[in-house]
Amino acid sequence: MAAPRPGPLRRLVFAALLFASWPALAAGHNTLTIGVTQAPGPLNPNIDVLAAKSYVLGLALRPFTVYDADWRLVCLLCTRLPSIANGLAVPTNLPGGKRGVDLTYTIRDDARWADGVPVTTADVMFTYEVGRNKQSAVSNGELYRRITGITVKDAKTFTLHLDKLDFDYAAINDFVLLPAHVERTAFADPAQYRVRTRYATDPADPGLYNGPYRVSEVSPGAYIVLQRNPYWAGRPGPFRQITVRAIENTAALTANLLSGTIDMVAGEIGLPLDEAVAFDKAHGAGYHVIYKPDLAFEHVDFNLDVPALADRRVRQALAYGLDRKGLAQSLFGGRQPVADSFVSPNDVGYTGDVPHYAYDPARAAALLDAAGWHQGPGGIRRNAAGQKLSFTLMTTAGNHSRELVEQVLQSEWRRIGVDIQIKNQPARVLFGQTIPHRQFQLAMYAWISSPENVPRELFRSSEIPDAANGYSGENVAGYKNPEMDRLLDALEVELDPAKRKTMWAAIERIYATDLPSLPLYFRSDAYILPKWLHGLRPTGNQYPSTLWVTDWTVAP
Amino acid sequence: MIRFTALRLIEIAAVLLLMSFVIYGLIGLMPGDPIDLMRTADPHLSAADVARLKALYGLGQPLLVRYLAWARQALHGDLGYSRLFSAPVLSILVPRLVNSLILMGSSFVLAFAFALGLGIAAARRPRSWFDRAVNLFCFAGVSVPTFWLALVLILVFAAELGWLPASGIATPGKGGLDDRLAHLALPVLTLTLASVGGYTRYVRAAMREALAQDHIRTARAKGASEARVVWRHALRPALVPVATILALSFGSLVSGALVTETMFAYPGMGKLIFDAVMGNDYNLALAALLLATATTLAGNFAADLAYAWLDPRVSYR
Amino acid sequence: MRFPLLLLAAIAGASFAGPLIGKALGIDPAAIDLAARLAGPSAAHPLGTDELGRDVLLRLLEGGRISLAIGIAAALTAAALGTAIGLVAGYLGGLSDRLLMRLTDAVIALPLLPLLIVLAALDLGKLGLPAQLVQSDRISLLRIVVLAALVGWTTAARLVRGAALVTKNRDFVRAARSLGAGTPHILVRHILPNVLAPLIVATSLSVGDVILLESVLSFLGVGVQPPLASWGSMLNNAQELIGSAPLLAVYPGVMIFLTVVACNFLGDGLQQRLERRL
Repeated sequence: MAAPRPGPLRRLVFAALLFASWPALAAGHNTLTIGVTQAPGPLNPNIDVLAAKSYVLGLALRPFTVYDADWRLVCLLCTRLPSIANGLAVPTNLPGGKRGVDLTYTIRDDARWADGVPVTTADVMFTYEVGRNKQSAVSNGELYRRITGITVKDAKTFTLHLDKLDFDYAAINDFVLLPAHVERTAFADPAQYRVRTRYATDPADPGLYNGPYRVSEVSPGAYIVLQRNPYWAGRPGPFRQITVRAIENTAALTANLLSGTIDMVAGEIGLPLDEAVAFDKAHGAGYHVIYKPDLAFEHVDFNLDVPALADRRVRQALAYGLDRKGLAQSLFGGRQPVADSFVSPNDVGYTGDVPHYAYDPARAAALLDAAGWHQGPGGIRRNAAGQKLSFTLMTTAGNHSRELVEQVLQSEWRRIGVDIQIKNQPARVLFGQTIPHRQFQLAMYAWISSPENVPRELFRSSEIPDAANGYSGENVAGYKNPEMDRLLDALEVELDPAKRKTMWAAIERIYATDLPSLPLYFRSDAYILPKWLHGLRPTGNQYPSTLWVTDWTVAP
Repeated sequence: MIRFTALRLIEIAAVLLLMSFVIYGLIGLMPGDPIDLMRTADPHLSAADVARLKALYGLGQPLLVRYLAWARQALHGDLGYSRLFSAPVLSILVPRLVNSLILMGSSFVLAFAFALGLGIAAARRPRSWFDRAVNLFCFAGVSVPTFWLALVLILVFAAELGWLPASGIATPGKGGLDDRLAHLALPVLTLTLASVGGYTRYVRAAMREALAQDHIRTARAKGASEARVVWRHALRPALVPVATILALSFGSLVSGALVTETMFAYPGMGKLIFDAVMGNDYNLALAALLLATATTLAGNFAADLAYAWLDPRVSYR
Repeated sequence: MRFPLLLLAAIAGASFAGPLIGKALGIDPAAIDLAARLAGPSAAHPLGTDELGRDVLLRLLEGGRISLAIGIAAALTAAALGTAIGLVAGYLGGLSDRLLMRLTDAVIALPLLPLLIVLAALDLGKLGLPAQLVQSDRISLLRIVVLAALVGWTTAARLVRGAALVTKNRDFVRAARSLGAGTPHILVRHILPNVLAPLIVATSLSVGDVILLESVLSFLGVGVQPPLASWGSMLNNAQELIGSAPLLAVYPGVMIFLTVVACNFLGDGLQQRLERRL
């Protein structure tokens, strides 16, 4: 349960108190150095999205809307979230029987770029122009295709015309404003925009940022320094200066933390959980370690075109034959909750009312026997035709954590008579080719979703990647179930939360019964913070904790 | 001499041209392309976006066409933009090259100075306990994997003792000379420890051979002081083979510190090349690798000229 | 001379007898026991267990088998390649000598580490190798051997060429030639035996180098892939556990250290013996 929200008055008093006491508290710590494992790359928010970049930009740019730590959609740059109830969202009828929606947002009155220029609808129109241009290398083209037009009411208020009415229509999280007054000249030749953008050529230009902090120095691939935005109207950030440093080698990263070269390790792009647990065990007393399950759903994909895997009993047997709880307990110190389905327990769609597959090797053996796989010589099961029950298991080479888990799977499944050959590939091969082309039998990796994300690409039968559709879609298992298809289509456009909840429950149940993939757990992020830093709330979704940096406080 | 120089320069140009083609081809043979990588990082990219971006980055064309287009531009002095950094290749390369030369240069000088001292001292007392100790130290130095050495040094000097910073090239926002030197200390120490052993062995072997020569015996017989014998008569010929080794280690001078750079998060050429190759950043990888090759070839060329100075028997026609 | 040889023999013997030792102790090196992770030394596990509860001693022997196999295979391949090139260059002389020696210089001069990374990440499928081979278990080992040989052949080539240049004008070679012996015959029967000694020295030295190179490749994530393990990959994995289980890093580190030092002393000793003989 979320704590009751303080009323406006109480918040004001709290803020005033904080303000008064701030200089004394901050005397010892007016700078913060954050260690991350990935360099952020060029900072244009709409080109080539990376976790490290989102993390840094969380300090310096305000998106219109995001999901907060309670997984509620909130306005950051806008004043009010449009809804049909408050009249700011108006469903429209489009030609061809489709339904669209008009959404009216108002930019916060006090929003300014860090050079003092107010954030206005001119920036909105410019961002739209950039996003819509096919040559501008903007990553998320889908969003801009869905916006059929924008009507500007005044300098602060505008209406988006969308060609689709989803239940999460008010979320325009990827629509991150670009400053027209700074970026306009760089966009003169759209094809050159990705290299001429000031975010790449002069990232320390204060006019590029409108958050509590602005970037003041960038050393590409090494570190980024941020200072307070002098025109920020809200509560000021707790530090005069924040430095984000990239140290890719995790052993070196922890050594840097111990030496005080960095103050904290970001959870979003920090240590793999097994290393964090080991660090916690050895040095945890000196730090404040927060574990937070995130949206990365670690699982094993079954390729349903493999005859043995097409049999549901075999898939279920693999689930029963694996002690997921024991695995999570011993490798990850129990910090990583075992998943029963692909829906995170934090999500509104979560019901938990699904079949559980507790460790039960006897049941696994019975299922395999029933499926016609009987114990053979050497402890490996065979079918009537004498074929061995053997699969190849793939994951991303060089990911130590996954390599460990994979060897546990191999050893445990061997005990129920299933032979596993490990064949790992570098991430670029696995995700670039093997998985989309469905050239695997078992593949272990993670899906990263967002709050209440309808898993259409994952399970709809039309989303099986093949040559004809250019290997798009993520139903790499090759899962086909008409009931699932129907539910997915209906869920996407159902606006009534109660009805959606029932649909989610049904989808989860079908998934957990059919097991088109084997759920392992939701990955946990480990935030290793200094004892004197408070108020950092991991969100557990893809929006970084840095978006709420002004809530962070320093206390001894 | 002029003819020799001209020939070598032509040769260097030819090797660079060949290398550019080979490297381009090799990167092309690596699995996946930049947009596939992008899709890995951002699963929301739709198939339409992927197709649009591929066309935008010119990835639809055959490798050879892309190479020729690149070569034509490069010959006009335009090395293009780095995809990873969204910046002109040179603006990324030059600072990294400077960092690398500082790092490698200082460890090179240090390692060579120690090697000369140790090697000469050991060669003068063959089979003494000192000689054996130096020998063991040399082997020890070359037998420890660099990443391991680096980690131990960080844990001891940065985490445990707190004497030195653990990573980077400077404290952001500061960057005075003392700050930079403090940041250099551990990576330079790592590289020096890793390379001093090899150099010492070469110096020692060359010195021993030189000291056994007839003209040294003659000099000794004539009553020349030991210091004079060592420094005037033996050292110069001994430096010839040593110069060869030094010239050969130029190859690693620019790009060889990959592991050290990774461990210390030191922004140098080795890590840059690694990232560019792994990130399929053609323009950057090519330019960086070619720069590294060119430096090496130039180093070898300089070494050839140094022979002529060190060894009167060598002459170039 | 004798000591390093004995040490190497002991390491190799124990490594290759690993499976037998495992059987004798009644332990399966691949057996995972999550309940007994990172345990200290005990009667059942003389060196304790690793992060998956496997016996460290047996893993170490297994890693040794892989490391040594890679080291020896790559050193031999490099020696063979280098010998062939050196013989041709030294014996034939002229244009082929100049071309081959330029090639050798070029390979020595190249920025090798970054190129190795490119090569290590190549998609062998795109090179047209049969899928069977590309998919095979041992491909990561084979790849490392080939890479190390591609880097390592130059030393042997220079040595052999030098020796061949000297030998080819000796009387017995001239005599053989005047008797009508063909080039291959002369190369193999008369020249090769005379370059064998320095070649053995160089090869013994390079075994250590390859083992180190493999550890660097493991560090970069392009080394031996699990479930196989090498000393290099074990050392690399142990980095992350340095706070909680430092011994896991010490064991493979010491093995690499001992082996490389022994290889070097062996090469050194051989060299001294040769010098005395000449």
